[in-house]
Amino acid sequence: MNDPKRPFPTDVKSQAERWREETFGPAAAGHPERKPFVTDVGIGIEPLYTPADLERVGFDYLRDAGFPGEYPYTRGDRPGMNRTDPFVVSAYSGFGDAEACNRRFRKLIEIGTEQILVALDLPTQCGYDSDHEMSTAEVGQVGVAIDTLADMELLFEGIPADSIKRIGTLGNSIGPIVLALYAALGEKQGIPWSRYTVNLQNDPLKEYIARGTQILPPEPAAKLATAAVAWCVEHAPHWSPMTVCVNHLNAGGAGSSMGTAIALANARHYLDLLLKEGYSIDQVAPLLHLFPDERHDFFVSIANLRALRRIWARLMKETYGATRPEAMACRTTVYGHGQEALAEPLNNIPRTAFGTLAYVLGGASYVYLAGYDEAVSTPNEDSARVALRTLQILAHEHGFTDTIDPLGGSYFIETLTAQVEKQVLEGMERIERTGGALAVIEGGFGRQVMTQGAVRRQRAIDSGERPWVTVNLWPQKPNVPNTAFRGDPKATERQLARLAQVKASRNRVDVEAALAEVDRATGAGENVVPSVLKAVRAYATVGEIVELWRKRFGSFAPSTEF
Amino acid sequence: MAGTTANAPRGRRIRVLIAKIGLDGHDVGARVVARGLLDAGMEVIYTGLRRTPEQVVRAAIEEDVDWIGVSTLSGAHMTLLPKLRRLLDEQGASDIRILAGGIVPQEDVSALLGKGVAQVFLSGTSIAEIVDYLLAQTAHA
Repeated sequence: MNDPKRPFPTDVKSQAERWREETFGPAAAGHPERKPFVTDVGIGIEPLYTPADLERVGFDYLRDAGFPGEYPYTRGDRPGMNRTDPFVVSAYSGFGDAEACNRRFRKLIEIGTEQILVALDLPTQCGYDSDHEMSTAEVGQVGVAIDTLADMELLFEGIPADSIKRIGTLGNSIGPIVLALYAALGEKQGIPWSRYTVNLQNDPLKEYIARGTQILPPEPAAKLATAAVAWCVEHAPHWSPMTVCVNHLNAGGAGSSMGTAIALANARHYLDLLLKEGYSIDQVAPLLHLFPDERHDFFVSIANLRALRRIWARLMKETYGATRPEAMACRTTVYGHGQEALAEPLNNIPRTAFGTLAYVLGGASYVYLAGYDEAVSTPNEDSARVALRTLQILAHEHGFTDTIDPLGGSYFIETLTAQVEKQVLEGMERIERTGGALAVIEGGFGRQVMTQGAVRRQRAIDSGERPWVTVNLWPQKPNVPNTAFRGDPKATERQLARLAQVKASRNRVDVEAALAEVDRATGAGENVVPSVLKAVRAYATVGEIVELWRKRFGSFAPSTEF
Repeated sequence: MAGTTANAPRGRRIRVLIAKIGLDGHDVGARVVARGLLDAGMEVIYTGLRRTPEQVVRAAIEEDVDWIGVSTLSGAHMTLLPKLRRLLDEQGASDIRILAGGIVPQEDVSALLGKGVAQVFLSGTSIAEIVDYLLAQTAHA
């Protein structure tokens, strides 16, 4: 194919160009492109990657990749990663009341779950007790109802807090309360805080534009969330009381790169509040985890995790002056999804498995996997078991976890990692120019990005540009089976009875004194966790504590923009 | 789509109130549908999160809409949608029709259709299908 009179090019770049023109080009000409080869984040995918691409993105191995457990942590936040310290097999579960849920938890642990994050129902997440008017029809629907410490005691009956690697919940808008409930649970079980580990999501800022369980205006909400972190610095520095999320931002339309940028801006807002309180970055950064998310493009997902670790490390070291490795190494929690469809739900098993495999290859530390019926309802026992077994298969079969960062050094993955990193950094700059995390919420930038992205995705699906089996390829009518989980009216009855019984039997004077102290500490700008802990010990309800904050700070203003 | 016949019988544009009722905070679907209907030439109002059925009915009557589109994902549809219908009927707004979208099991779809909900579109329905439905149904009214 080479003209013998023309000197044969000896560098990879010219050779790659030659290959594309002479060998690939003619072959491709007869095959119209199957689809636009563009990822959800907008990065185009080339037919082939070579060392020339690494040169194009300026990849420098020692500077940009390095080694696992060492700065800039691109190849892993821990030295041995899955080889010595496999990802934690986790389950997110909750429905009905504590009694029903406890049975599911025991089953999950029996079959190998190492971490349980409790899914709370919407009233609990939004700070309403089960007997509140706003809770009608929602008690125990999308998670378990928790009104008081009594529910926690029942929820973890026979499950000592230190019997699995981590326990926790989301509690995004009630962070100090769920932290106190988990601290009081240890006291009730006679297990010191040092012997178990609590993980919370406790990331209220993303709720305003993505997830929707916000209660207060953003500013006091962020301050309350950081109180949970500050309390842990003092009392339980090995807990992870805040997990800053890309997940819901990406799912809602931001895309994984802009979602990562917004999450990092949120993380910076929390960190800045803690620094203002007098804590050092080396004290607080190790307590924050990140929750990356990319569910459309397998390789972008791997690149995103690698890029996130690099960006976090540099941000902590260069911008914040962190010196402890724990402050620079970004620990990640992921929730494996794919493009789950309503039609033929069993197909969601391979989808979620592939999505999760990407996270495992990308080096996530704590891994959850969506039930195949999760697009429809709270997972049933069968789908929860399949999700768990899939994680165990990923951890132990096929050799997926035998070597560290198995795709590191791939021309494609390193190029993509650099491209994703660039997008995220550009997003962060844009957010900074906008005015930071609060401006993203209040100035409308966040919602605008989310809606534009969601509309773009819908169009890509409707037009067939984004292939989706059973939706736009071999389309099937979507169907929600009658067997889908639904709230159990008996569980609601039990919950209401238990709440009434707790309210009747607790010491009213103690409760009122404790609530008055929460109110005073909140007003004085002190860390609220010690007073909230006293209140939950006295069986004050979640709703009673939140009501004090609602009165003091007012409620969020729902946006009617779309 | 803009410029096509998104007109109600009274010779005005079709007016739709997109609503989130109860505590469910996932409103991506609601906003995408709202945008899609707007792009199709309809007049669209979005309530924002966490509204009560009473608030939605008041807004629907004040805004004189033809349709209320309720996004429902948390499983509260069997309680909230019939209540919405009842409140509309009680307040003399029987002409306002209800459309539901989201996650609704098959037997609940049938039950809701018998309780005054005009149609249920499950997650994954294309915008075009919803637009076509509204154009056809509003013209026939």
